[in-house]
Amino acid sequence: MTKKQTILFLSIVLAVCALLIVGIVLTNGQYESSSTIQESMQDAVLHEEDKISLFGLPVNPGLISAYLVTGVILLFAAIVRIFVIPRFKTVPGKFQLVLEQAVGMFDNMASANSPHRNNFLGAYIFAAAAYIFVGTLFELFGIPWVSAAGESVTLPAPLSDINGAIALGCLSYLVILAGGIASNRMRGLGRTLKEFSLPISMSFRLFGALLSGLLVSELVYSYLALSFVLPVVVGLLFTVLHALVQAYVLATLTALIYGEVCEPYVRKNKVRSNKIKTTDTEVTL
Amino acid sequence: MPLNIDWQQILLHLLNFVILFAGLWLLLYKPVRKFMHERRERYEKTDAEAEKKLAEAEQTRAEYEKKLSAADAEIEEKRAAARREMDGYEAMRKQAAQEEADAILASAREHAAREKTRAVEEARGEIVGLVTEAAEKIATKSASEAYDAFLAAADEQTPKDGEDA
Repeated sequence: MTKKQTILFLSIVLAVCALLIVGIVLTNGQYESSSTIQESMQDAVLHEEDKISLFGLPVNPGLISAYLVTGVILLFAAIVRIFVIPRFKTVPGKFQLVLEQAVGMFDNMASANSPHRNNFLGAYIFAAAAYIFVGTLFELFGIPWVSAAGESVTLPAPLSDINGAIALGCLSYLVILAGGIASNRMRGLGRTLKEFSLPISMSFRLFGALLSGLLVSELVYSYLALSFVLPVVVGLLFTVLHALVQAYVLATLTALIYGEVCEPYVRKNKVRSNKIKTTDTEVTL
Repeated sequence: MPLNIDWQQILLHLLNFVILFAGLWLLLYKPVRKFMHERRERYEKTDAEAEKKLAEAEQTRAEYEKKLSAADAEIEEKRAAARREMDGYEAMRKQAAQEEADAILASAREHAAREKTRAVEEARGEIVGLVTEAAEKIATKSASEAYDAFLAAADEQTPKDGEDA
C-alpha cells in the first residue's frame, strides 16, 4: 500500500467513524428500552415474557433459533452432498480438506475413546459439535423476530435456552446409556447409571457457558458508552471461543464416557496369596 | 417448573436435534467418511501391492545373484579345466616337438657320419690314386721331381678334403 492509499484509507475510516458517532448521538433517546436491565437479564435467563408463537404454541426464542440453525446446517449439508461430495478428488482441495478434517477429527476422537464401538458415536459427536458451534455463532447475527406480544426479539443462541441445553445433555446421556447396554447389557446399564450426575452437569455446563455470554452481551449493549470496540472483544471471547470450547468439551466428554461404558468386561483372575504362616518357634528365633 | 423448564419444549428441542443428527449423518458424515475410508483402503492396497512387488523383486534379485555367483564359479571351473587341458596339450606338443627334434638331430648326425665316411673313403681313394700316379711318375722321372710333384698334388688336394668333411 502506497502512502497516498494509506492516507485515503485512514480518511475514509475516520469519516465513517465520525458519521456513526453523529448518528449515535442524534438517535440517542429515540429508542428507549421498555424494560430495565434487570428485567432484560431476567428475561434472557427465564424467557417468561418474550415468548414466540410456533404454530400457535408459545415457545422460547431459543427454540426458533434451534430450528433455524438446524435448517441452515441441513441446507449446507444438502448443498455439499449434491454439489461437492460427488466431485471429491483423491488429492483434496481446500474446502474438501476442511470437510475431511472436520469429519476425520470426530471419527478419530470416537475411535480413540471408544475403540470397540464407535460408528454411531462419531456421527453423534459430529452432529452435536456442529450444532453447538453453529448455534453459538448464530447469536452473532442477532436475527430479529416478532414475539407473541408483537415486540421485536433478537434470537439468542439455541443453547442459551435451558430447555435446549437440557435436551442435548440428556440426549448425550441417553446415547451413552444405549451404547453401554448394547455393548455390555446390564453391566453397561450399571456403569452408565453410576454416572447419574452426567445429564445435569452436561446440561447446565452448556446452559451456563452460553448464558454467561448472553448476559455479558446484554450488559455491554445496555449502555451506550460500552458499545464501542468492547463488543468486538466480548463477542470474540463469549461467542467464538465459547462455540469452539463448548463443542469440543461436550464431544470429548460424551466420547470419553461412551468409551468407558462400552469397554468389554474382562474377568479378573483372583490370585490366591499364599501367606507364610509363622510358627511360634520362628517368632521366638 | 423452576427456571422456566418446559418438558414440551425439551421434547421439541430433542426432535430438532434428532432431525439434525439424522440429516447430518446421511448427508455429510457418512459420505465423507466413506470416501475417506475408500481412499485409505485404496492407498493401503497400493502400498501392500508395492511391498509385495518389492519383496518379489528382492527375491528375484537374490535368485539372480545366486545364479550369477554359481555362474562365476562355473566359469572359473571351466577356465581352470581349459587351462589344464591347454597345459596338457602344450606339454604333449612340446614333447612331440622334442621327439621330432631328437629324431631330426639323430638323422642329421647319422647323415653327417655317413657323409664323413663317404668323404674319407673318397679321399682315401683319391690319395691312393695320387700315390699310384706319383709312383708312376717316379718311375719315369727322378725321385725328387716325383716327390715334389707328389707334395704339390697333396697341397692341392688337402682343402678339398676339408670341404667334403
